[in-house]
Amino acid sequence: MFINRMKNEGTAYGVFKVFNGIVMVAVILITLIPYLNVLAKSINDGVDSMRGGIFLWPRVFTLENYKVLLNDSSMYRATLVTIAKVVLQVTGSILLQFTAAYALSRRELWGLKAINIFFLVPMYIGGGLIASYILFSYVGLLNNFWVYVIPCIWNFYNVIIIRSYMESNIPDAVIEAARIDGAQEWTLFSRIVLPLCKPILATIVLWVAVGAWNEWTTTLYYIQNPDLYTLQYKLMQTLKESERIRALMQQAVESGKSVEEVAQGMKVTTDSMQSAQIIIVTLPIIAVYPFLQKHFVKGVTLGSVKG
Amino acid sequence: MDMKRKKEVCAGVAAEQKEKSQSYAIKCLKKNKMTYAFLIPAIVFTIIFCYIPLGGLYMAFVDYNPFKGIFGSPFVGLENIKTIFSMPALYGSILNTIWLSLLRMCVNFPLPIIFALLLNEVKNQKFKRITQTVSYLPHFLSSIAVVGIATTIYSSSGIINDIRAMIYGPDVQRILFLGQQNFFVPNIVILTAWQGLGWGTIIYLSAISGIDPELYEAAVIDGAGKFKQCWHITLPSISITIMLLFVLEIGNLLASNFDLIYGLQNPYINFEVISTVVYKQGITQGNYPVATAFSFINGLISLVLILIGNFISKKINDVSLI
Repeated sequence: MFINRMKNEGTAYGVFKVFNGIVMVAVILITLIPYLNVLAKSINDGVDSMRGGIFLWPRVFTLENYKVLLNDSSMYRATLVTIAKVVLQVTGSILLQFTAAYALSRRELWGLKAINIFFLVPMYIGGGLIASYILFSYVGLLNNFWVYVIPCIWNFYNVIIIRSYMESNIPDAVIEAARIDGAQEWTLFSRIVLPLCKPILATIVLWVAVGAWNEWTTTLYYIQNPDLYTLQYKLMQTLKESERIRALMQQAVESGKSVEEVAQGMKVTTDSMQSAQIIIVTLPIIAVYPFLQKHFVKGVTLGSVKG
Repeated sequence: MDMKRKKEVCAGVAAEQKEKSQSYAIKCLKKNKMTYAFLIPAIVFTIIFCYIPLGGLYMAFVDYNPFKGIFGSPFVGLENIKTIFSMPALYGSILNTIWLSLLRMCVNFPLPIIFALLLNEVKNQKFKRITQTVSYLPHFLSSIAVVGIATTIYSSSGIINDIRAMIYGPDVQRILFLGQQNFFVPNIVILTAWQGLGWGTIIYLSAISGIDPELYEAAVIDGAGKFKQCWHITLPSISITIMLLFVLEIGNLLASNFDLIYGLQNPYINFEVISTVVYKQGITQGNYPVATAFSFINGLISLVLILIGNFISKKINDVSLI
């Protein structure tokens, strides 16, 4: 009966279904085409790209753009800095946030209410950029690799999510039993609590890792030494630089020269280098994307329940 | 429940003892030394990186002299705050920030709701999952990669200009979109939508999945078509979620996406928001007091807005419980 009614929808709904399908396909295309276009440009000859007309497939295939980038020793260094940043930030965050969340999950302890408020206040008020900048200059974090790690590993929002996971997924009885067996607090935490937290552990690791990989303003604010630049920051520099070059080229073209003339002698142009660089910084994310997506979605729904 | 756990953990502490009495505190501390020790690093980090910078806000009220330090510099009261309102570029950035936030509330906020409702009507589960997976993707790209993608597709040899050439003929003038002042704000809205459309649906879809199917069955028996079901059941059921998220947006009125705006700024563009001004005044030009005063005012207003938002969301939650 119910099923039958469902099938007897009016024509208006039929029209809507077609329209809805078109909207979905449009969303998919609008999401993918810009990225695929960048990918196509990154493997197309730079001078040829300047004629326009590259859509989803390269016209003059080349790997020159990537070769130039990979031969650049500063890119190599930036990759190492970025990977170190991600690994250390993840390790630090896990240690700091999970231990704190574990202690905070034991609500029966004396004084936790006050400690919670102590942690909560900075979520609403902060000193802002300049106060941090001056603090970092005092403690020697300016132009120091550790600015990528130390100030970033504490995140009370994550701690709230971890805590609520622990509260609803680790039975008190398990903890009590371990304690009766004589487990010390650290053993209890590392051998029992952490393994029981695997799903939320995966979510937090990925959150922190993607955040650390993608973030570039720390470099902009606090780093001047080119040896400490990250991949994202180098992309930002390329974009800012090419904006200028592009304007110069436009002027030259408008004054009567052809695009080929202007680009003469330039084997790779900023446009195609830039595309290759975008692909390099996004590739690790895209590579693990199916895996990421699952855990990220879980985190969002967890956060919405308790946050 | 809480009391029971308390008895178990702090064994030996008489149950009838007052919870907050001193001896209880000491015994609990002694018995759980290690657990408290777990909190020490977190407390140290919070003090250093959250509370000490709060003291740095004093910078907003001094005539800063780097040799004397913040607290040695002469106190000038509200001079720095007055300076902000004497510089049109500075208070203009406040208006720009609010303008962007209003656009975000009117355009970027409803889009995921509409998209979630449409996704919910897709009956082919596989197609639905593919659409979701693809639409979440831009959320994972860094803001600067999004700027890069925009730079590529809007460039004079990019696809947008190619499409224009297809429509208007090959002789049409190729426009440098990112150098157009008029296009800057619409572009921010477009890129924010591109990055956030799919991701924003998650919370609504999970709210929709929590709706009792019996409601729909009842509606069908009452003769409601699909549109009426959406209007009378789905939308009211997620309206609490919508309201809560909207209220949170109020607290973000003075917030803006620094990464995206800074990334898209170039010599042809004159558009500053609060965060870019704080960065440029403070770090690029070293004008610490004015930049701090600026973020102080920003923080103060934001705090009030967030508290108002929290107050309203508590009200909404209470109402929803009835």
